[in-house]
Amino acid sequence: MAPVISVHDLRKTYKKLDAVKSINFEVEEGEIFGFLGPNGAGKSTTINMICTMLAPSEGSIMINGFDVKKQKNKVRESIGIIFQENTLDEKLTANENLMLHCRFYQVPKDKREQRIQEVLEIVDLVGQRKDRVETFSGGMKRRLEIARGLLHYPKVLFLDEPTVGLDPQTRAHLWEYILKLKEKEGITMFLTTHYLDEAEISDRVAIMDQGEIIAIDSPSALKGQLGGDIIELSTEDNQKALEEIHDKIDGAEVSLKDDTIHLKVSSSDVFISSIIKTLNIPITKLNIRKPTLNDVFLAFTGRKIGESDES
Amino acid sequence: MEGILAIWQRDLTKFFRDKARLFGSFTMPILFLLIFGGGMSGTMENMMTGSMGAAGGAEFNYVEFVFPGIVAMTLLMTSIFSALSIIEDKDFGYMKEILVSPISRVSIAVGKMLGAATVATIQGIILFILIPLIGLSYDYMALLQVIPFMFLLGSALSGLGLLFASFIRSTQGFQMTVQILVMPMIFLSGALFPVNNMPAWMDFIVKINPITYGVDVMKKIMIDLEGVSPVVREAMGLDLMVFGRQVSVFEEILFILGFAVLLVLLATLSFRRANA
Ligand SMILES: Nc1ncnc2c1ncn2[C@@H]1O[C@H](COP(=O)(O)OP(=O)(O)OP(=O)(O)O)[C@@H](O)[C@H]1O
Ligand SMILES: [Mg+2]
Repeated sequence: MAPVISVHDLRKTYKKLDAVKSINFEVEEGEIFGFLGPNGAGKSTTINMICTMLAPSEGSIMINGFDVKKQKNKVRESIGIIFQENTLDEKLTANENLMLHCRFYQVPKDKREQRIQEVLEIVDLVGQRKDRVETFSGGMKRRLEIARGLLHYPKVLFLDEPTVGLDPQTRAHLWEYILKLKEKEGITMFLTTHYLDEAEISDRVAIMDQGEIIAIDSPSALKGQLGGDIIELSTEDNQKALEEIHDKIDGAEVSLKDDTIHLKVSSSDVFISSIIKTLNIPITKLNIRKPTLNDVFLAFTGRKIGESDES
Repeated sequence: MEGILAIWQRDLTKFFRDKARLFGSFTMPILFLLIFGGGMSGTMENMMTGSMGAAGGAEFNYVEFVFPGIVAMTLLMTSIFSALSIIEDKDFGYMKEILVSPISRVSIAVGKMLGAATVATIQGIILFILIPLIGLSYDYMALLQVIPFMFLLGSALSGLGLLFASFIRSTQGFQMTVQILVMPMIFLSGALFPVNNMPAWMDFIVKINPITYGVDVMKKIMIDLEGVSPVVREAMGLDLMVFGRQVSVFEEILFILGFAVLLVLLATLSFRRANA
């Protein structure tokens, strides 16, 4: 099967800054593809180039068989996008916003009514159809934008940080809607986020940092690369504990970060007992967990996702 | 086509929904008319009498002269300021929704232009209601004829607004530029006083100013030229000459049409730049 999106040697340079440095990837039909990276990684820049809104400095992009440089209108017809920032007309009602979208995308006149109803049902906004958007809460606006992006049955739906600025409950709801969509419509989805838990719903994740894709795979494979479990340990004297672990215990990758010793081990069961037996320093905190995408990010960049370079 | 219509309709809906703007749009032209029509007419007529002699001066009706000029001025202000909606759309993000859609870029420019021109024409027509109140009478047919032309002039001027809006990013910057440009365009157009006997460089500006031709056509359509003596006609600046030749209304309309088309194409180019 041919990929719906294929990106080759894509590069974007702003005056001095290389925002996107020669990235390559493909997205299969029906896939949820996640772009994960810290602020300024180049996620929005990449999405904007794919969506014809920003001219690439170099490279080629094909969507649904169309060339983004040469067949802009064909590409525009094939995609729906929820931009990182709000792009609704707040002075108009929900219905007016949706109707305008139908007209922009030439949805057949006799289908408009039914489709508007359909997308409003998906995002639970049927009752607010005649209300002005300025009276909506942040979460309702976001849902309306998602509904609007679906009106013309796009092949690919782009979601640039769809849950930014929303409370955890609303975020969870929004993802339910998005997953419902994937099940019902089989739409290919391309999403960006810097919330790690959100990236987990993707079939595949590309981890982006400083304009480069540093890893690309399914979340479980990425976490699998790290192997086994993670033990987080605090003691009364971390420095000394670190030495002891180094001297006496084999087969663990050890690092110290922010008063916590991180041990990457193949199986926590064996290690825990040996650690407790060998360490002579009192343990103040002990935590065992499976690796998250944050650990993956940490492993690739040496930083946590929220941290900047300087810290 | 549908795209043009959608963009046009959206701007109109928003115009009628914005109560403050709607109110402002009623008061501004009325204010102009009070100042120029009522307040200044005595002064202007005295000045004209001085230059034409008593016979011509008695016949010169400044209010009749200035009314079409004020309508043109209203068209100019509203058209250009309506283009501000483009900057607003950029600020509030809606421009992205438009630009990422498959509407052709020409349709976007034309839709925006027609939206602004329609709003401007509506405001111009509102001024017609005042005609009896300031003691004027124009021919019905003349008023009906002038409306399509007002729409054309409004389109050309909206095109100018679009072009500004595509270069200027901020609302404040836009307002500054427009104010600096609009005033000279009005004063050097014959809208408020005749532009005869100007120094050569000023005369040059008058002749390249599209408002000049707009105002001239409006006056020629609205004022009953047959009933005006040649002296007054000359004093009113209605014998507009370019390159020593009197221009016809037809040529002027063609010029404005060309101007509108050129501007809409330039605006289209600015929308075509991928990151506009
Ligand atoms: N118009 C621009 N001119 C110059 N630099 C820009 C421009 N737009 C973005 N950048 C820079 O490009 C880099 C990537 O920005 P981008 O918006 O793609 O990041 P992002 O991954 O989407 O981040 P966030 O999570 O904050 O949305 C940043 O360093 C940013 O400062
Ligand atoms: Mg972003």
